[in-house]
Amino acid sequence: MLFFNVIKWILWKDILSEIRSRESISSLFFFALNTLFIFSFSFSVDRDVTFALMPGLIWVAFGFTSILGLGKSFLSEVHNDCLSYLQIAPVPKGAIYLGKFFGNLLLMLAVEIILYPLFMIFFNLDILAKLPSLLIISMLATVGLSALGTLFSVLTVQIRAREVMFPLLLLPLSVPVFIGAVESTQGALSGDPFSAYRHWIELLFIFDMVMTITSFWVFEFILDY
Amino acid sequence: MISPQLRGKLWKWNGTLGILSGFFIFIGLFLGLVVSPPDYYQGEVVRIMYVHVPFAKAALLSYTTLFLGSCVYLWKKDLIVDNLCHAAAGIGVFFTSIALITGSIWAKPTWNTWWTWDPRLVSFAILLLILIGYLMLRTFVDDKKREASYAAVMAIIGFVDLPIVYFSVEWWRTLHQPMSISTRGISIAPGMLVPLVFMMIGTTLLSLYMLMMRTQMLYLQHLLEAKQGGLLSEEPS
Repeated sequence: MLFFNVIKWILWKDILSEIRSRESISSLFFFALNTLFIFSFSFSVDRDVTFALMPGLIWVAFGFTSILGLGKSFLSEVHNDCLSYLQIAPVPKGAIYLGKFFGNLLLMLAVEIILYPLFMIFFNLDILAKLPSLLIISMLATVGLSALGTLFSVLTVQIRAREVMFPLLLLPLSVPVFIGAVESTQGALSGDPFSAYRHWIELLFIFDMVMTITSFWVFEFILDY
Repeated sequence: MISPQLRGKLWKWNGTLGILSGFFIFIGLFLGLVVSPPDYYQGEVVRIMYVHVPFAKAALLSYTTLFLGSCVYLWKKDLIVDNLCHAAAGIGVFFTSIALITGSIWAKPTWNTWWTWDPRLVSFAILLLILIGYLMLRTFVDDKKREASYAAVMAIIGFVDLPIVYFSVEWWRTLHQPMSISTRGISIAPGMLVPLVFMMIGTTLLSLYMLMMRTQMLYLQHLLEAKQGGLLSEEPS
């Protein structure tokens, strides 16, 4: 029971501090909004072109946002030496990882859910009917990104050049997530039947499983180095 | 884990390994560049294969060493294993870059492009990025033990990730557009196989030689730092 309690309390602590400060979610949201504006200035406003580029745009925006958001997920633990207390706490270390992971997942999903309507408005897309499948894809891709991001966040939080190292480690490893997410988003946006992009969903699912389990296992070696 | 006696015995073989690898590579290059016939389709361009293929294999060998070494390090926490991993990563960068560069040079006359988004190419490029990230990570951590653990974690995650990268790129390419470029299944003529085998043995020995030399160097560096009262609080075992 201790295991699940630790997950619950770490998650609760993150949610509570986020609700009180609203630091991460507001900064991430405005960052993503800025990216969105830059995109619309960088590309022509031709509807067909925009539609063809849309999956890529969505995932570049989400990718940048997750770099920003996940990278500082353990930064709050460094203040007041919280990380040291987590290190010496007599609890399963994997549970700490899972707690932080779920916190990051919720945060990123919240940002993505706010962003989809904005994409619809600014790029004049009619994707309301496709929103459920898009959200499932986002969910799967975000699980993979958060699993890796949480791990690399704790890996880089106590080293020099943290801001540089985090994306350098995260981006090459998350290539499958981006390929899978962009391809399945493309399928969902153009209204293909589910069977046409099912294998991409499976890829995302496999990546999520493998990365979550591996990260969960190695997290202990980062805290108890 | 490795006793000093055994280590000393192993290190005595350094010179022999180096000489042997030099011998094999020399013979292999001579046979490949001078004796072996040019390819029926590709002409003289095929000769770059004698460097490219063995180096690519050596790169994979280094990364496998890095992965296994990282697992052993996390299990035993032996700093000399960490030195081995550090050495393997550096050597991996060397071999991977050479494999990518020679592949590119071969691709230009054969496929008429320097680069294509082929699964093997992309996974090798990602491998290079992971290894460079690994080495950079090591330079940014101050504490030696922490550096070793963090690096081992990074290597393991990267190793687990690579097959998924390979398959995702393969799907991405084959489903997007038909493979316009593919290598024919060439069954190798004996005249080409012999130099290739020589080069394979030579580069494997070369990577072993480099691995041992570099491990030794890093280990001595640690020892020196410990003697100077530097970063290690205790002398490495």
